[in-house]
Amino acid sequence: MQRLINRVLPSLLALIGALVVSGLAIALSGSSPLLAFEALLDGAFGSLDGLSEVAVKSCPLLLTGLAVAVSFQAGIWNIGAEGQLLMGALAIAVIGSRATWLPQPIGLPLALGASATFGALWAGIAAQLKLRRQVNEVISTIMLNFIALGLLSYLVQGPLMEAGGRYPQSDALSPEFLMPRLSPYRIHLGLLLALFLAAAMQVFLYRSVAGYEIRATGLSPEAARLAGIDVRRRLLLALLLSGALAGLAGGIEVSAITRRLYERLSPGWGFTAIAVGLLGRLSPVGVVAAAFLFGAMDAGSNAMQRVAGVSSVLVSIIQATVIFFLVAFERRTWFSKISAEPD
Amino acid sequence: MNPAPTSASLLSIRRLSKRFGALRALDAIDAEFSGGEIHAILGENGAGKSTLMHVLAGLLRPDSGECRIDDQAIRLGSARAARSAGIGMVHQHFALVDALTVAENLALSLTPDADWRFDAVAVGEKACAFAAQVGLEIAPPSAIVRDLPVGARQRLEILKALAGAGRVLILDEPTAVLTPPEVRLLFAMLQQVRAQGRLVLFITHKLREVKEVADRVSIMRHGRVVGTYRAAEVSESQLAELMVGKLEVSPHIRRPPHAGATVAMQARELSMRDHRGVVALDNVSVTVRRGEILGIAGVDGNGQRELFAVLAGLATPESGQIEVGGKSLSALAPRVLRQVGVGYIPPDRHREGLVLAMSVAENLLLHRNVLRRFQRHGLLQRPAARRWAAALMQQFRIKAASLDAPLRSLSGGNQQRVIVARELSQPLAVLVTSNPTRGLDLAATRAVADALRAAAADGCAIVLISTDLDEVFDLSDSIRVLYRGRLSDAVKPPVDAERLGLLMAGIQAGKEPCNA
Repeated sequence: MQRLINRVLPSLLALIGALVVSGLAIALSGSSPLLAFEALLDGAFGSLDGLSEVAVKSCPLLLTGLAVAVSFQAGIWNIGAEGQLLMGALAIAVIGSRATWLPQPIGLPLALGASATFGALWAGIAAQLKLRRQVNEVISTIMLNFIALGLLSYLVQGPLMEAGGRYPQSDALSPEFLMPRLSPYRIHLGLLLALFLAAAMQVFLYRSVAGYEIRATGLSPEAARLAGIDVRRRLLLALLLSGALAGLAGGIEVSAITRRLYERLSPGWGFTAIAVGLLGRLSPVGVVAAAFLFGAMDAGSNAMQRVAGVSSVLVSIIQATVIFFLVAFERRTWFSKISAEPD
Repeated sequence: MNPAPTSASLLSIRRLSKRFGALRALDAIDAEFSGGEIHAILGENGAGKSTLMHVLAGLLRPDSGECRIDDQAIRLGSARAARSAGIGMVHQHFALVDALTVAENLALSLTPDADWRFDAVAVGEKACAFAAQVGLEIAPPSAIVRDLPVGARQRLEILKALAGAGRVLILDEPTAVLTPPEVRLLFAMLQQVRAQGRLVLFITHKLREVKEVADRVSIMRHGRVVGTYRAAEVSESQLAELMVGKLEVSPHIRRPPHAGATVAMQARELSMRDHRGVVALDNVSVTVRRGEILGIAGVDGNGQRELFAVLAGLATPESGQIEVGGKSLSALAPRVLRQVGVGYIPPDRHREGLVLAMSVAENLLLHRNVLRRFQRHGLLQRPAARRWAAALMQQFRIKAASLDAPLRSLSGGNQQRVIVARELSQPLAVLVTSNPTRGLDLAATRAVADALRAAAADGCAIVLISTDLDEVFDLSDSIRVLYRGRLSDAVKPPVDAERLGLLMAGIQAGKEPCNA
């Protein structure tokens, strides 16, 4: 019990701190913080539609948050979940608008598998650069984000542009590749898949030998190496898994929600994921909780803007402040390790 | 060998004391140093040399005592006060910005505080003028420090120290990083500095250098100055004895060398350079037989780290090979060495031996073979692993709140017991250890030593790399000495401290010093 409290406490404190700061911001702008928060809560949890939207917004955050958790646990600072997500989205958009001869029970899993693979391959570039050329993965994954975004932008305005050619977006996915929804709401099967993967990651990291080796490598690479653990293979595995999870997030989003590819597909999930991962203390169970929290904020933000007249951007302020407080509450933060890294 | 008379002193130290926890690093030290002399501070690692110099340079605040320059007391514990009193120090690890030019590196010391401008040409000219004035040759002001050889960087550091201070120049083991021609150049330079009436304090554990360059020498042991002599009036063997101290009992070799036993591990002709490019291991061959404890003594910094790293597969030697059980290895990696039954007690337990943020149980599992043993379908068999870990905890008397207590919460001795328990839990052909009892209390030291002896009695071959002579004497069946990356032959019994001290200082009986 004591250990549980110790693990959850910093996240709770950070959250409370963030709410206080954003409350102050609301008050300064002349609105009522209480009214705003109430509207936020009501928007998220006050209706079935709201709840469905919480699930929809949480899903990509959950998967990318898991991606961040597994790589950070290995001591690899994958800042590239955004790019990996976009590559996953690209994969399913290409397959889903062309391979229409596949029946759904085969086609959809196959396409999602392609999304995960594309994400993993995109992360694999950073992994190879790190393992072979000692390129810091923080730099390479950030750069790969820009490349992925540029590639996406080019494709939806060129080769992949819809047949009608009016908007910079791809053709819609054919129905075989659409994720089943619980009509009339937008909540979809992808959420179950994400929750299942979270459980699987929890088992993997804390019950499997490979997961143990990944954690040991992240906490003390020298000790892991002397123990006879193949540190390089573990780093590679962690980064590939991370990329696959992020890629899958993109695949599910396209298949369930957007149903086609366009430039502003992601509002920056891959970056918010870092806050989700840290708030969840890099454990899959914690990431689930953090993702739902952030998802609820996103889902409720429109209602808050409508009812309380507070801009929905406030949610971004809360999310960003959470990171600041987390870093402040942790004595040895994950971020300080980035700069302490010798290579 | 009469203590040297003290002349009019430039720098005097009165009853200077400094403790680190239970350790008396400086124990009420008194000393007098005069201007115009090169004064060597000789002692083993841990004798207190560096602590004393750091106190003088204002980097450490002593618990009590005082320092005076020209009979003026210096405010202690302030680097700024030390500098303005005229004390400059050159550290072993240079404090230069590698990516900047010579002039840029000197700017801080050569320009007055009030001047906010940086004029590279002016600073360069000033640097050259100052260098000429003190008789130092420096690299061109526009050269990038990264491109300079080590000796040139050191001269830059010396110039920096002299520019900012000027009365007392402290050098912390300056020759450790230099090639022999560079050492000669350094000594010539130090004589120049002395000729200008400055005091040079020169930390070393190399006897030959004391004789070569110093006017006087103070020997430190266990935080005390055990004597000050004129360098010309004391022999190297006398210095060695003063440095390591006289052992009361003549150390004994417990068992005859295990000549008949099978060879457990054989390392042949290992050579490697450290990150500076200086030779760290020079054609080292190690043979250790079943049941034998081979002690490798030596002063720290003579290749111990590198030898451990190579034997552990953590570093790749430039040449040489390792055989375990008569078979040469496919690759030198910890993974492969673990596979053939080599265990390790690393020199830095926090860095290489343990994961502090993990639990006791998880740290007991931190071994490839253990993980393999408890793996089923990729998953860790937790109940079985925990039973096994609990048994080890009991057997090795590891004191911890529980199996799940974070390793960080354990005392140093119990942390080391975790490593020993883990390594000895596996069938071992060879155990390579480096300073296995460093920093441990008496009970833990005994427990570790007993565990090593028991392992050897069971047929495990042990390589004991240690800078602690007592430990080497206490445990070893045969002793070899590592000096400047070279390994001496086994020292034949009776082994006495003086002979060992000479070997550790690089002097072999009837031979020229091997580093000439």
